[in-house]
Amino acid sequence: MSIHFAGPAVPALGLVLASFAGAAAHEIAGNRFFPATLAIDDPGVNDELAVPTLSMTKSGDEPPVKELDFSGEYSKRITEAFAISVGPTWTHLFAPGGPTAAGASGFQNLETTFKYRFYKDPVHELIMSVGLSVEWGRSGASGVGADTFTTYTPTFFFGKGFGDLPDTIWWARPIALTGTVGYSVPGSAQTATFDPDTGNTDIELHPQFLNWGLSLQYSLPYLKSAVYDFGLPDFVNRLVPIVEASFQTPAANFAGTQLRTTGTVNPGVIWVGNYFQVGLEALFPINRDSGRNVGVLAQLHIYLDDLFPTTIGKPIFGGPVAPARPF
Amino acid sequence: MRYITISALLLLLLRLDIGVADAHALLDHADPRVGNTVKSPNVVSLWFTQNVESTFSTIVVLDSNGARMNAGNAVVDKSDRKLLRVPVKVLPAGTYTVKWRVLSADTHTTEGNFTFQVAQ
Repeated sequence: MSIHFAGPAVPALGLVLASFAGAAAHEIAGNRFFPATLAIDDPGVNDELAVPTLSMTKSGDEPPVKELDFSGEYSKRITEAFAISVGPTWTHLFAPGGPTAAGASGFQNLETTFKYRFYKDPVHELIMSVGLSVEWGRSGASGVGADTFTTYTPTFFFGKGFGDLPDTIWWARPIALTGTVGYSVPGSAQTATFDPDTGNTDIELHPQFLNWGLSLQYSLPYLKSAVYDFGLPDFVNRLVPIVEASFQTPAANFAGTQLRTTGTVNPGVIWVGNYFQVGLEALFPINRDSGRNVGVLAQLHIYLDDLFPTTIGKPIFGGPVAPARPF
Repeated sequence: MRYITISALLLLLLRLDIGVADAHALLDHADPRVGNTVKSPNVVSLWFTQNVESTFSTIVVLDSNGARMNAGNAVVDKSDRKLLRVPVKVLPAGTYTVKWRVLSADTHTTEGNFTFQVAQ
């Protein structure tokens, strides 16, 4: 009997990219507009469409495999604070032998996320949400690493703007921090395969992972509208420089494997319009297991709640919000 | 064909972003400008990213002691529904806080605040 790790066809890359497809949701709390982040999901609950999200990376395997991912996500509010999102990802793996060699293409497992925002404080620009992501086993192509088992990931999300900092450090007020902490649990702990020819039973472990990430943002829209209007050009006033970091740490059921923490640190920028945003980030792997080269991540994100506020952009149950109260 | 499709999508997005729907009204800019130092203004004007409704859209100007400095009610400009303004009393030198809360045409509510300074 042998025991080994049951990972995707391209283990390191699959782990690193697992969270990219689910990154969506913008949110407003007081003065603060939290844009949708690209690599990690943020605490917002909204009607929106992230399509396409494109990423290009090269794995840390030997030989390395270049991967192109094309994903989308549709998020729909059921109530003002509860939303369900669905996100497919199509993957193309470029064969190490070059363009003449055979690669592999196909969909990753479909992912569904249920998210509930349980706390919002406009004065302190604080938002917290909880969610459950389900990656449906056997809904994708095994040739690109889609698992044959379903994985459940309960996650905690938070976002905090620093508009309540004192006047002495007014320049830091446009800073915001968002983050996620999730724990992925495969629906089955292992897969046992009996080989009738050898009589051996091959056992593949399905590890559990701690998925965690942060984004550090400096919002120029916030600087202009709430701190100090320098009279900068409109294009510049809509930029949000950002650094995201996304990590996966093996937590259980990985004994005897070489798994260790993987992830990327992603500096980039988001341009925020009234009805959509565009984001671009570089992906720096934190170690060889996470990738070999600097990758790229880009996303077009459409605010359906702003585009279609009275139809598909509003919650199914309940109005958008109660009318404003006079001071 | 691919370039035509991409171009059409970009044109659609640009068209969308110049305003064909009502949405969250966020503060675009103000007069006096956010954080700036000015002479005492007669009116505080706020321009939002979307049209706002007069009903329930308010501005309050407070001095450093929290005293209300409004000289009237906030009103939406009839020719520019993104503009909300409020008359204010003569403002002595000091720091003033502007609190705003607006209702956009689709009933989204947003709120925020900023300060400006008045010089002698």
